[in-house]
Amino acid sequence: MDKVKQLGNTLIIAGSLLFFLLINGIACAQQNTVNGTVRDDSTGNPLPGVNIKVKGTTTGTTTNGSGHYSFNVPSLRDTLIFSYIGYKTKIVPVNGRTTVNVSLKSETIAGQQMVVVGYGTQSSESLTGSVSSVSGSDLDKASTVNTSESLGGKIPGLVMVNYSGEPGHSAPVLRIRGQHTLTNNKPLVVINGIPNPPGGLNSLNPNDIKSISVLKDATAAIYGVRGANGVILVTTKQGKKGPSKVGVTFNQGFQQPTRLPKMADAATYLTMLNELSRYQGNPPVYSKKEIQKYADPNSNPWLYPNTNWFKEGLKSFSMQTKGNVTVSGGSKTFQYRFSLGALRNGGIYVNSATHYNRYNIRSALSAEPSDNLHLQFDISGRWENRNYSSQNGANIFRYMVQSYPNYPGFWPNGKPGPAIELGNNPVVMGSSATGSRHNDSYYFNSRLHLNYDIPHIKGLSVKGTGSFDKNFLIDKRFTTPWTLYSFNKTAYIANGKKNPSQYLTGVKRGPATPTLNQQSTNGDKILLNAIGQYKRDLGNNSFNVLFGSEYQYSQSDYFSAFRRNFLTAAIPEMFAGGKAGQTIDGNGSHGAHMSFFSRINYNYKNKYIVQLIGRYEGSYIFPKGKRYGFFPGISVGWRLANEKFVPAFFDELKLTGSYGETGNDQIAPYQYLNTYSFGAGYVNNDKKVPTLVPGVSANPNVTWEVAKQTDVGIHTKIFNRKLSFELHYWNEIRNNILAFRSGSVPSLTGLKLPRENIGKVRSWGYDGSISWDKHFTKDINYSISLNGGYSTNKIKYIAEPKSIPQWQRQTGKKMGAGLFYIATGVFHNKQEISNHPHEQGARPGDLIFKDVNGDGKITAKDRVRINRNNYPTWTGGLTLRAQYKNLHFKVFFQGNAGASKYVRTASGTFGNYYQQYAARRWTPEHPNANGPRAYNRQQAYWIAQENTYFFRKTNFLRLKNAKIGYTLPKKIVSKLDMDSVQFYINGYNLITWTSYKLGDPETANPNLQGFQNTIQNRGGSYPQMRLYNIGFSLKF
Amino acid sequence: MKRSVYLLIVFLVVVFTSSCKDPLQLKPKSKLTTVSVWESASTVKAVLNNIYRGMGHGANQAQMGSMDDDGSSIPDLGTGVVVQSTVTPDNMGNLSSSRSDQFKWGPLYKYIRQVNVFLKKVRNAKIDPTLKKHFIGEAHFLRAYFYQNLMKAYGGVPIITKVYGINDKNMQPPRNSFKETVNFIISEADSAASMLPTVRTGDNIGRASAGAALALKSRVLLFAASKLYRVNPSGKAFTGYTKSQDPTTLWKKARNAAKAVMDLGVYNLYKANPAPGDSVAKNFHDLFHTQQTNESIMERDFTGSNRDQSQNYRPWQYHGPNGFHQWGGTTPTQNLVDAFKMKDGSDFSWNNPQEAAHPYKNRDPRFYATILYDGAPFRKRPSDDIQYDQDGVIQTFKKLTLPDGETVPGLDTRESPIEPWNGTYSGYYNRKLISADQVPHTGFYPGLWFYFRYGEILLNYAEASIHLGDYAAARNAIDKIRHRAGMPKLKSSLTGSKLMSAYRNERRVEMAFEEHRFWDIRRWMIAPKVMNQDAEGIDISANATNRADRSTYYNYNYKVMTYQKRKWRDKMYFYPIPQSEMNKDPKLKQNPGY
Repeated sequence: MDKVKQLGNTLIIAGSLLFFLLINGIACAQQNTVNGTVRDDSTGNPLPGVNIKVKGTTTGTTTNGSGHYSFNVPSLRDTLIFSYIGYKTKIVPVNGRTTVNVSLKSETIAGQQMVVVGYGTQSSESLTGSVSSVSGSDLDKASTVNTSESLGGKIPGLVMVNYSGEPGHSAPVLRIRGQHTLTNNKPLVVINGIPNPPGGLNSLNPNDIKSISVLKDATAAIYGVRGANGVILVTTKQGKKGPSKVGVTFNQGFQQPTRLPKMADAATYLTMLNELSRYQGNPPVYSKKEIQKYADPNSNPWLYPNTNWFKEGLKSFSMQTKGNVTVSGGSKTFQYRFSLGALRNGGIYVNSATHYNRYNIRSALSAEPSDNLHLQFDISGRWENRNYSSQNGANIFRYMVQSYPNYPGFWPNGKPGPAIELGNNPVVMGSSATGSRHNDSYYFNSRLHLNYDIPHIKGLSVKGTGSFDKNFLIDKRFTTPWTLYSFNKTAYIANGKKNPSQYLTGVKRGPATPTLNQQSTNGDKILLNAIGQYKRDLGNNSFNVLFGSEYQYSQSDYFSAFRRNFLTAAIPEMFAGGKAGQTIDGNGSHGAHMSFFSRINYNYKNKYIVQLIGRYEGSYIFPKGKRYGFFPGISVGWRLANEKFVPAFFDELKLTGSYGETGNDQIAPYQYLNTYSFGAGYVNNDKKVPTLVPGVSANPNVTWEVAKQTDVGIHTKIFNRKLSFELHYWNEIRNNILAFRSGSVPSLTGLKLPRENIGKVRSWGYDGSISWDKHFTKDINYSISLNGGYSTNKIKYIAEPKSIPQWQRQTGKKMGAGLFYIATGVFHNKQEISNHPHEQGARPGDLIFKDVNGDGKITAKDRVRINRNNYPTWTGGLTLRAQYKNLHFKVFFQGNAGASKYVRTASGTFGNYYQQYAARRWTPEHPNANGPRAYNRQQAYWIAQENTYFFRKTNFLRLKNAKIGYTLPKKIVSKLDMDSVQFYINGYNLITWTSYKLGDPETANPNLQGFQNTIQNRGGSYPQMRLYNIGFSLKF
Repeated sequence: MKRSVYLLIVFLVVVFTSSCKDPLQLKPKSKLTTVSVWESASTVKAVLNNIYRGMGHGANQAQMGSMDDDGSSIPDLGTGVVVQSTVTPDNMGNLSSSRSDQFKWGPLYKYIRQVNVFLKKVRNAKIDPTLKKHFIGEAHFLRAYFYQNLMKAYGGVPIITKVYGINDKNMQPPRNSFKETVNFIISEADSAASMLPTVRTGDNIGRASAGAALALKSRVLLFAASKLYRVNPSGKAFTGYTKSQDPTTLWKKARNAAKAVMDLGVYNLYKANPAPGDSVAKNFHDLFHTQQTNESIMERDFTGSNRDQSQNYRPWQYHGPNGFHQWGGTTPTQNLVDAFKMKDGSDFSWNNPQEAAHPYKNRDPRFYATILYDGAPFRKRPSDDIQYDQDGVIQTFKKLTLPDGETVPGLDTRESPIEPWNGTYSGYYNRKLISADQVPHTGFYPGLWFYFRYGEILLNYAEASIHLGDYAAARNAIDKIRHRAGMPKLKSSLTGSKLMSAYRNERRVEMAFEEHRFWDIRRWMIAPKVMNQDAEGIDISANATNRADRSTYYNYNYKVMTYQKRKWRDKMYFYPIPQSEMNKDPKLKQNPGY
């Protein structure tokens, strides 16, 4: 113990150098010895790590692993104070005894759960705003790689859509209560008090997370100009007093795509090509006999391939492995927790070059060198190592959809087949045959936090935090030519269909010579804050006043280089490339925020609660003199349960209301300046000359968006707190939204308009939860909890000309609502065409567009703004847990509804059709079919112009997680000299119920032509994974 | 202990309050502020360099030539609505695509504003006066050039010379008349010509010159004299003249402007007098692939660096045949092919059995430099395709019958085993813009796009001369062009309308795919005739003993067919002003017919 203390002091001294502090050790007097055991009142289990203090002194100790303690007290007439987190503090006079055994009552029943609210915590009872939290133990740690993803369905009102399942680039989008603004809707993520730390939430080790709470309403005003989109507060675990404990978890998962698009087979596809040919007045391209051969599985595969590209291009499963080790413990004055996490997630492609490795380390040290002083020193580091082929994931899946089913992925001898174009054969694109992309991200976060209770002034304390974070990213993309094989059918047939392999010709695809793109980003972030807090409880009145100031600065540098003409693919390093055509690029950015804030809580008789929040904050983004804004919030609560007139049946009944104004400054900086940026260059005298491109015209009045947020809520707990219910209604008006006035400023002015604070959006909705917690006996235990939210929005003002017809206006519609023709069906025959207004050249099998304005013609004026977008309006989650003796069961469902996406493929001579599309299509033989005919690329008006036929709903319900666990009985465990051993199996994304049949409802569509190659956007349409996992966790 | 904590508090307070600098006063790291831009010649020049980019280039995937009778676009790209005259202010098809920014309302005015800002700011820039004079001259040239493109597309447009601020009240100017627009362009070109050296040398090669300004003047005055604006069917001031103009005065101005360029004596046709052993076809083709020849009045050069891709100069990828894994892009029509005369100067005719049996034999040498046709020797096929064609010859036949009776399609067709969706509909590909030396798939290579070449000036001169009745001068100018191309002189008996139609044909074949024909058929008002003809292509069948060996092919059969419906409506004389702009500026008047 002493050693530990010594180590702690050393570390604290080292850490405190930053603050020019010196800390002295504490001397102990040697007098009478008292010992005893502390147990849980209800279970009788010993409690390790309980704090024991002699009243009125600084003398104290903690219990050991078996709940036992022994220490010297000044006198046997002293009084001992036993305190333990989650238990009621007990005061026991020694009364001359030398053995004092004590049992503590659990406090959790009293609902005194502490919730992190930004710069402090509050008990859930005293909360007056809309704050939800989830504890780290409720996250699906076994199967999810991305921590943001694991929040989906866990928090009422938190919207999560995961657009990609690519290892290392799963792309969950988190929105608190949906969308509120036309600009950036990203919520603020605060980790251990640091806003937007490098690395963010996605790749935190979920095992390190103690709790996540979400500020959904005016309570976010404490984060001022960055709080309008809500705040996600993450707190990581600290060490616990008690003997050293080691925890080990290990998970092995087997994953496969949830839902893949089903494409037409070769025979169907060729039939459709014949139809296309027929529609153009040409004879069929393929004879019936030939098509029949493509349909026959016994046909010669060299001549009649029938390829399911998803089957050819993907493995049956890929592996995901996770492991975690933590060590924690500590004395009264010094606690530590170290954790190491490692993860490997493999790609699903055949011959996959994709795999993602992540290593997290975290060290959390805390110390109380004196009664008044509490210090925390955290260091964490992370290495994320992403590996891919040189090709973009979105593109690979795009080509799986597009590739011809009558082309082989691989020839029967294993050589890759030809591609539609540019060598894009998806079975090769995901492999290292195309080169490699290695992306390494390194993050280092450090934080020193201090809390000092000012002596002699009860309730007054000061806190300070200093943090320094660093990130370094390096990305190397080496593209090498690859070989595809084309087959000379004619010669093969002519020579009697023998030795097919000799008719294959290998062709180099991709760049003529290898190319290397290398980029690096180097950034850091500093935060300093100081807070004073005064907290008193004076009988009926209690209050808590907090004042603080915070400064944050970040900077980042970027550098990139490119070379081609590598002599060989053997050395993927820059020096080995040719100098001709090389490029170098670099850039830098920085930013700062400065703020002063306060929060005042007042509580009268535990019935009436008021909270006032104010933050005065400045952001570098805005011009001098207009940098600072004040963001206030007020919330009130009335705990009816404590009123006499409310029946005792209510364990809790609380009404809350809040109003506040928060800001959003997530916009491009320096819009108040007229600037020029470097352009793509021009050529004089056969030499590249630089160009300077004017930026947007300066907007000297640019300011932040302001959210006016209102929230009312009700919280109840009944049946001895077994049933709890919470419901909030909220309404937000977002003013000053930065939007272009381009709808009203003519282009002939040549103005490159800045965004101006002119937009206005209202958003509103409900969210809540209901849960039932029941425990029959010691052996049977179950709980059900359901949460959900509805959120929607409406544009109140956006600059649009008055001449736009009512049905096309954005004003009054949801943000992101698009313009579509309304497809009312299919022209079954010529008669129907002449009966309807139609586009020029319409033919049977084409979609019928509705003549919205009734002018007898189909024009752009008939497009209608459809009030749907790709964000769900309804989101929710249902968790069922049960325990029978040593068996645990957990089932978690997650669902989203109200979102849609536009689905269109580059089909026809350029690519395959969805099987569903093919099955429903109109043909002259099936003139009553209600799906449109075969089309070629964008040649039909109803493909070229967006219409509701292709706008599909993506509502879904997923069995997100189902888990069965077995805990070894205590007897066996103690024989193994362990604290606990648990085994479990679980399935993740097991079942998806959805009306969307063209793939996974969440996954982004394969883009028709889009090709984004930045590492951030590369996940694309890689599907989400279904995962079967086995795992164990040990504690000793 | 306590003391140290107090020290800490004091320290924190000091940290937060003592910074004398505003911690939020940060300067952008990746951008220049306006003030610093005007302080040095190099940054001022870089601002001007950027404005040159507004001139764009016409080598796009859907060239202007895909929307006139010379060609069509394989992937359509919105050209269909143009050639079928179904363009509306809401749906302008390819006319509103970013591929043709150089004729679009918004982008042109964006660059015009940059000129306006430049002219306003450069006056006070502390830079060398000669340099400043040249910069100002270039800015005037660029402004004239941009208005020239607006004038071609829209007619008379609002002439903006002021720099609007975002809070300006009156941002809705009306359109200026066609006449005012022309006069403004001419005065801008005159200013430029007076301030700039005749030709640019050294590192200024590629920048505007007095020669370019005079060439621009020649082109604009030729337009101004043209029938469309004199007849002015709608009678609106922004589509042409409202009072009858004396054609002679207009044509004299046009001729003098062309003459002014000729009189500079610094330009000539490239290889104007072919040497006896020269391949005139190659000479002509080289003109479009050799930077800064003596024929070039102004051109845009591309270095082949990938950065040039930002304006998509990728002729080989865009226009090369699918059988070489390229995208086809803008392909010539049979209508254009038939416009190429026989080498002896006589008309080509399908009614002549000799010619119909060998339509690609003995044609105007420019045909071989402009068009890739079935049987044209081109370049080695990529390795996967050599099995079908060992000779590197264009294959656009639809049906080749082999000795065993099997029929196969040509490699460069829409039935090809290679990327057939990029195959030509017409049976032809563009050769003028692409060089057979390029490596497939890289997309980047050095090249050029002509803004003005001397050949155009000679033709401008000829056109004005015909209108002025000076037929000999006209023939003389045309003959220079023909001589370089290896074609015989025009008959001295050619006068009047016959000479005019010979001239028009000469202009068409000489400047195909150089962004002229689209405008010429409008200003001559022959579009109702030529654009009501459907696009034609060729259907070829043949027999062969060995598919891969071109020399074994025989028994060719050519059949002209139509492949794209076309329809002309008179509204298509001008672009519509985009509806979104009409909505924002109630004072704008829409062009007739929309």
